[in-house]
Amino acid sequence: MTSLADLNQNIQTAARRALADGRAEVVFGYRQGTAPFTAAPHFARTPEDCGQFVWTSFARVNLAAYLPKYPGKVALIARGCEARSAVGQVVESQFPRENLYVIGVGCQGMVDPEAVLAREKRPIREVTEDLTTINLAGDGWTASLPKAEVLRRNCKTCVCRTPKDLADEMLGGDAPPLPADDFADLKALAAKPPQEKMAYFKGLVKDCLRCYACRQACPLCYCPVCFVDETRPQWLGKSNDAMDTFTFHLLRAFHCAGRCTSCGACEAACPMDIKLREFNRLLEEEVQKDWQFVPGASWDQKPPLTTYRPDDEADFIK
Amino acid sequence: MAEYTVKDKLSFLKAAAGSGRRLLAPSSKDGRVRLAEVTPDRVAFDYLNTHLSPKDAFFPQTEKMLAFHKDAAKPGAFVYQPLGLDKIQPTVVFGLRPCDARGLAVCDRVFQNDRFTDPYWKTKYEGAVKIGLACQAPGPNCFCTAVGGSPFGEDGLDVLAFTKGEGLGLKTLTPAGDEFLKGLSGLESGGAAGEMDGLKKAAESRLPGPLDLAKAQAAPVMEIYNQPHWKETADRCLNCGTCTFFCPTCHCFDIQDEENERGGVRMRNWDTCMSWLYTIHGSGHNPRPTKTERVRQRFMHKLKYIPLKQGGACGCVGCGRCVQHCPVNIDIRAVAVDMSK
Ligand code: SF4
Ligand code: SF4
Ligand code: SF4
Ligand code: SF4
Repeated sequence: MTSLADLNQNIQTAARRALADGRAEVVFGYRQGTAPFTAAPHFARTPEDCGQFVWTSFARVNLAAYLPKYPGKVALIARGCEARSAVGQVVESQFPRENLYVIGVGCQGMVDPEAVLAREKRPIREVTEDLTTINLAGDGWTASLPKAEVLRRNCKTCVCRTPKDLADEMLGGDAPPLPADDFADLKALAAKPPQEKMAYFKGLVKDCLRCYACRQACPLCYCPVCFVDETRPQWLGKSNDAMDTFTFHLLRAFHCAGRCTSCGACEAACPMDIKLREFNRLLEEEVQKDWQFVPGASWDQKPPLTTYRPDDEADFIK
Repeated sequence: MAEYTVKDKLSFLKAAAGSGRRLLAPSSKDGRVRLAEVTPDRVAFDYLNTHLSPKDAFFPQTEKMLAFHKDAAKPGAFVYQPLGLDKIQPTVVFGLRPCDARGLAVCDRVFQNDRFTDPYWKTKYEGAVKIGLACQAPGPNCFCTAVGGSPFGEDGLDVLAFTKGEGLGLKTLTPAGDEFLKGLSGLESGGAAGEMDGLKKAAESRLPGPLDLAKAQAAPVMEIYNQPHWKETADRCLNCGTCTFFCPTCHCFDIQDEENERGGVRMRNWDTCMSWLYTIHGSGHNPRPTKTERVRQRFMHKLKYIPLKQGGACGCVGCGRCVQHCPVNIDIRAVAVDMSK
């Protein structure tokens, strides 16, 4: 891949082809956003619509989250994490495999606006990008930053930057693989006394507004009625009470255990910059360790916590 | 109305804090600027706007409305506990941005009008002297001028201030503002208004021109309501509540009782029209059954219903928070263009 413009061309061509071939009635991708650090999910149904597709480092959601119960055949322009999450939707029976066409794109990672703002204090009026850098402009100044230095937290340890094994078709070159998450910080945390662990997790969500952008952005949170929204009877208080907020996060994390693909949509969508994945990473590690299971890596293996076998370990039942 | 200058911001803030009112002002915490009670030395000046809107100073996310406990003497009876609204201390709010002050004025017309007076809002809002800080360097997502405001706007403020070197220029806008500044020491009379005009023009020239809302506002409600673009915008909306929680003019709440065997509280919490739960009836019927109706509601409310009910005042004040924070880039300016097609 020589330039971002070429990649955009290739994406648009692939999208048009998917529509023309009848593989899809709609193609999910992104178009340019209207403000710095934004991109808009774009659903193309005609060849003209396809002309707006771009590759962006500012995707804040996971397009696979739009799949559950979506009527008709969909082609998904997918980063690695989105391809994995799409696999998850199929495995969890939320979307039929035969209605899905995955156009994979080798991905160098998404950019974390907070990381950029930490390095560039002047007001940024315009953000553009090419394959490996982002270009900033303000009042009478311009600057560039290598994307690799301002990646989103989850993108720094992505295990699927090039979703060759999952995609029906690949675009863009291979993105060089990265070392996987070694969970070192969490292992250190696990050795701490319970009070300290509790303080850590409570501290993570102390600014939470319970707007639920994290849940709405997450491809796993497709329950028709989330437990926090149950009203008959009501399961959880509605105020900004710290314990109710904490309960939401803790239960959501358990619901996502062994299913989370570390796409980071929850964190990118959160307007309070809460490190939501800290809850999930801990469980991710457990699932990898106990079941050697990587979510979204196989089209037919069910997540361990959604299956039952008579010979499952049961020694915790006394 | 009067104009003043002060040579040093800090001594002005100290005088304000010493006035017997609690000082609420922008300050930085964990890297984010918010409006909160603060000591004069910690007031921030180098912010574009507060991260969250200032509405929670007058309309907190969770607000107790009343409390009750079991009557020890009479089985089955409860005793009402007044909340002591009369004990709420008056405040001086420094550093409101003009868009937000105007947004609070939109909320004020909802909470206090010829039909209702909301005592929870009234006590805090009317008990505050509101000092705005003009935007001499508007931010990248600001568009107050597109919706009838100005970086030096005066709506909803008692005093408008602007930074002048190490000091401030101040212009009073209401009798409450006059009264408050008269009582403070260290102010010099005059020297603000003339300079303000030039700064205002310069700041406005850096902001976008007006959005063309005339057509959408003149058209019958149902014509806009039935436009085809709503579904397309709604397709990508996540129905998270981010835009409503950040908006200075969003004011919807949900009343909840929480109780145990000894008693309980009634409170109200911010609610969001983007949630299906907002409109579901006890019967299970939902008059806004899909994302399309919910998205339409938010933008119709901002750009059509509020102007209709509030004598033309736009329900969006152009603070840009929803544009910045919407995870899927639903931009109210683009929706306004769709509504005007
Ligand atoms: S998106 Fe952030 S603020 Fe909103 S509920 Fe989730 S963690 Fe809380
Ligand atoms: S929990 Fe967060 S990182 Fe995991 S799949 Fe959901 S949005 Fe992605
Ligand atoms: S609608 Fe958006 S830009 Fe307008 S006042 Fe509300 S948050 Fe600000
Ligand atoms: S418009 Fe954006 S911020 Fe508002 S509910 Fe929809 S996705 Fe969330």
